[in-house]
Amino acid sequence: MLEKTLIPVAYKERPEELRKVGRMLKTLGANSVCLYHVNEPGSFFRGADLSWLTLLSEALEEAGLIVEVKTGEGHIASAIAEAALLEGADGIYMKAKRRWHIETMLLGSVSRDLLRLADVPVLVHKVRPRLPDDGTEPDQSDLNILYATDLDEASARPLPYVMEFAGAWCHVLHVRGRMADPLAERTRREAVERELHTVAEELRPYFGRVTVEERIGDPAAQVLHVSDRIEADVVVLGRKSPAFLSAPMGETAERIVTGSSASIFLVPQPGRRNAS
Amino acid sequence: MLREYIRREAVFLLSAGLILFFIGFGAARPDLLGPASSAAHAAILDHFSWLYLISVFFFLVFALAIALSRYGTIKLGYDAERPQYGFFGWVAMLFAAGMGIGLLFWGVSEPLVHLLQPPPFIDAASPDAAAFAMRYAFFHWGIHPWAIYTIVSLSIAYFSFRRGMPALISSCFYPILGERIYGAAGKMVDVLAVFATVFGTATSLGFGALQIHSGLTHLYGISSAIPVTIGIILIATALFMASAILGVEKGVQVLSKLNIVLAAVLLLLILGLGSAPYVLNVFVSTLGGYINNIIDLSLQSYPFAGFEWSRDWTVFYWAWWISWSPFVGLFIARISRGRTIREFVLTVLTVPTLFTFVWFAVFGGSALHLELEEGANLAAVAGEDVSLALFAFLEHYPLAGLLSLVAIVLLIVFFITSADSATVVLSSLTSGGGLVVPNYKKIIWGFSISAVAIVLLVTGGLSSLQVMAITAAFPFMLVMIALCCTLAIGLSQEKVQE
Repeated sequence: MLEKTLIPVAYKERPEELRKVGRMLKTLGANSVCLYHVNEPGSFFRGADLSWLTLLSEALEEAGLIVEVKTGEGHIASAIAEAALLEGADGIYMKAKRRWHIETMLLGSVSRDLLRLADVPVLVHKVRPRLPDDGTEPDQSDLNILYATDLDEASARPLPYVMEFAGAWCHVLHVRGRMADPLAERTRREAVERELHTVAEELRPYFGRVTVEERIGDPAAQVLHVSDRIEADVVVLGRKSPAFLSAPMGETAERIVTGSSASIFLVPQPGRRNAS
Repeated sequence: MLREYIRREAVFLLSAGLILFFIGFGAARPDLLGPASSAAHAAILDHFSWLYLISVFFFLVFALAIALSRYGTIKLGYDAERPQYGFFGWVAMLFAAGMGIGLLFWGVSEPLVHLLQPPPFIDAASPDAAAFAMRYAFFHWGIHPWAIYTIVSLSIAYFSFRRGMPALISSCFYPILGERIYGAAGKMVDVLAVFATVFGTATSLGFGALQIHSGLTHLYGISSAIPVTIGIILIATALFMASAILGVEKGVQVLSKLNIVLAAVLLLLILGLGSAPYVLNVFVSTLGGYINNIIDLSLQSYPFAGFEWSRDWTVFYWAWWISWSPFVGLFIARISRGRTIREFVLTVLTVPTLFTFVWFAVFGGSALHLELEEGANLAAVAGEDVSLALFAFLEHYPLAGLLSLVAIVLLIVFFITSADSATVVLSSLTSGGGLVVPNYKKIIWGFSISAVAIVLLVTGGLSSLQVMAITAAFPFMLVMIALCCTLAIGLSQEKVQE
């Protein structure tokens, strides 16, 4: 799933934190990492000593990963998204977890741009899953996964990734708007139940428990609500282009990433190339 | 058993109970009803007159956007259905339901009153005031009222004919409320619709009764005391109740067509016997001014000078049309099955509007001609008693007595057809949207409308009617905004070709 992962890093990144991340990525199947740092044009630190990157690289190597270090220039989010493509990364790991909870919950503009621009899956690490401080590897079999889908093409794409997460519990959540009349609503509900049942059957071999739930309402609000209720570690969802009217409020995915305590694994829409 | 009845008839029991309470309160303490309704009315106007303006403009834009979008080809019914009524019958019926009495009441008097009492930035009785008067008469009776009706009727027609739901306002809320439309929330929406309908219809019937009375006083010199107006309402009530109970739907259709023909004859007579070139000049120049200024007119509340004027006229009209919209909307929806959304919206917005423009140009333009060119003292009469203006105007034409009699017949028939339709619609609204409704409901609603009109006339006359129309319309305006959302959701689920 994340055999080769690109990790964007900035100055003052702490090696001990990155070591924990490395152990978690290893658990999720990563074997190599590309540490990527972007110099902003006109930045005060441009061309400065980049030896801190070596320290970070060593921290990740201690976790058993093959590490390469790359640097780039330009608009940060665009450069990261482009590097992920050029380096053949399977995904991007983005650490939203900071020292203070409020910092973790507030997503920076770079992260927001990256979520929109990336052509490979992005894992945004928030409060959950908590990384062990004692140097042990996180246990993948304890993971609670929330797979949010509206059963269309964009949200079916994450299914193979959900399977690879495996873990203790997968809760498949379908959120949609209500149909305009009771008959259409019943027909749609029955169709959704059938499809969710099929998805659950596909996921059952990979998880200790698979449950399904269907909700009506605003997708972002419902996903956040259910994620908190089941204390999901990772929310897996597909990214879609926002509708014209919803654009000013932001993509559903962006709102989920901003408001969630669980980590988010966001899979871009197939066939869309944003960075290039 | 009783609990089941209460649950089934909750909308009827609640709305009838509240209306009967209002009637009882008004009859017992008329001294308290006036101040109470005036306080509510002032609070609404002080804080939300801007909302009326922007909402009604939005309804117009929304209706046009849907008609001209790819959703315009969707049929109000199943795809293979054909329209139930012929084009002329359809237009005649929707026109009679939508305007009727109001045209006769205000056709002459509104331009005259605007001429004499314009906003403070225009000199009274000046040529500018005349142009302003005609433009605002077109505006108040033009495309906007029909946009209001369009929103309600399109929603009801779409959700009942295409989605197979009962013809109720609450049905349109299924995309938002789901099964809760059968609970308290849905019933509240229907109660608000009933409220708006009762007060909107009562306002129109009050106007109609006042004008019939003025006409009879003018023609035959009968007493102008309020008990006579009450007597007229009671006689008309007996007539429309008989029509509603006997179920003469065919008869109402025939009467509607007859009334349109009669109105057209009266219109042609006034045009032919008066100054046709002057009237036609008024028509084209006012139409030009109206089209040129439609956005400004739509959103103009004159906050720096003339705010009171805008509140008293434009906001009153918008509220009045909104209070009529559940009744007219249901009625128009019912006669529009099988038409496409584009055909429906464009016809409803343009055909009756054009007829109304011609009506106002002929009656208002002729009245202004008499006032400004021939020194007739009509504006002063209208300023004194708006219900008398039409008959004072007809005095200046040959066969004035006959023309006045035709006008009174028109008023009575409009009164009966409107009240009959309102009674049937109210009974249907409080019977789960069914077409077959028990007679006791028709009787209760018929008497309720008339009793409300009488109570309002006794407690404060014309201004009392206006106050209640505005007050009752306010909650329904919010319902209408939500209707736009639900209709958009419903249409977005349709599979139509790009």
